[in-house]
Amino acid sequence: MKRENDLDVVAPDEVGTEAPIVEKVYGITGHTKHPLSSLLINPDVFTFEEKAQQEKVLVVARSHWVTNVGWILTAILMLLAPSLLSLVPFSSDISTRYKILGGFLWFLVTFAFIFERFLSWYFDVIVITDRRVIDIDFDNLLSKKFAQADILMIQDLTFKVTGFAQTMFNFGDVFVQTAAEVPQITLERIPQPQKIIMVLQMLKEELGGKNVK
Amino acid sequence: MLNSVDSYLLIIEKIIGMLAAIVYLFFALIVVKQVQTMSKNVKDMFNPLLITFAYAHLVATLVLILLAIVVL
Repeated sequence: MKRENDLDVVAPDEVGTEAPIVEKVYGITGHTKHPLSSLLINPDVFTFEEKAQQEKVLVVARSHWVTNVGWILTAILMLLAPSLLSLVPFSSDISTRYKILGGFLWFLVTFAFIFERFLSWYFDVIVITDRRVIDIDFDNLLSKKFAQADILMIQDLTFKVTGFAQTMFNFGDVFVQTAAEVPQITLERIPQPQKIIMVLQMLKEELGGKNVK
Repeated sequence: MLNSVDSYLLIIEKIIGMLAAIVYLFFALIVVKQVQTMSKNVKDMFNPLLITFAYAHLVATLVLILLAIVVL
């Protein structure tokens, strides 16, 4: 028997699964507040090389911004260092040409330091899609680490928040035990680890339920 | 005699300065390659800006080499 078109709108046979999952993720984590946020929910622009065509990126997590404070302070000191040169004895004896060249090199090295540290924060990401959880790490140019586990293969989820900074700013490590080839994926220093665990649990229940049908 | 020693020292200083700048140029090239590779793997909003910064750093390194040639 042919169904009426209107009936498909009111009570469709096939319920789309994507939108309700996104809504549930929003319900757990809230919405992203800033494009450079450590936690991007349902990002529009973000994608990665190994992403399947129909795969939906739900959460992208980077290390909490507080983890950047150390190198930012170092960078500020590096930027201020040339102005302290006048305090060094005999600094007035250094010829101007060396000061110009040395100063230029110093600021170039400082820029490279800031840039490298930012890159390693920006490109080390944890991605949660509607199918899997992925850890992408770049230690340096010649090293890329890609670890993934299917959501349905997740066996156990634990998190660890230790120390003053992690407790104050609510970030920590999430350990994802899997039945896959990679036995454990560690999501390091990510914000709101409890909520990330809740998202993974919700996805596991959703996907598990879908499979039973 | 003293003048010729001075000129030798200046030449050595210039060679060392140039070598250091060229080594830094290799580093700058690696940074460009690194950002391109990372951007290919992980695509996000700020990637074009980061690639621009990497090239700006490379150009600044070329300026450093020119500066080393002129100043030293």
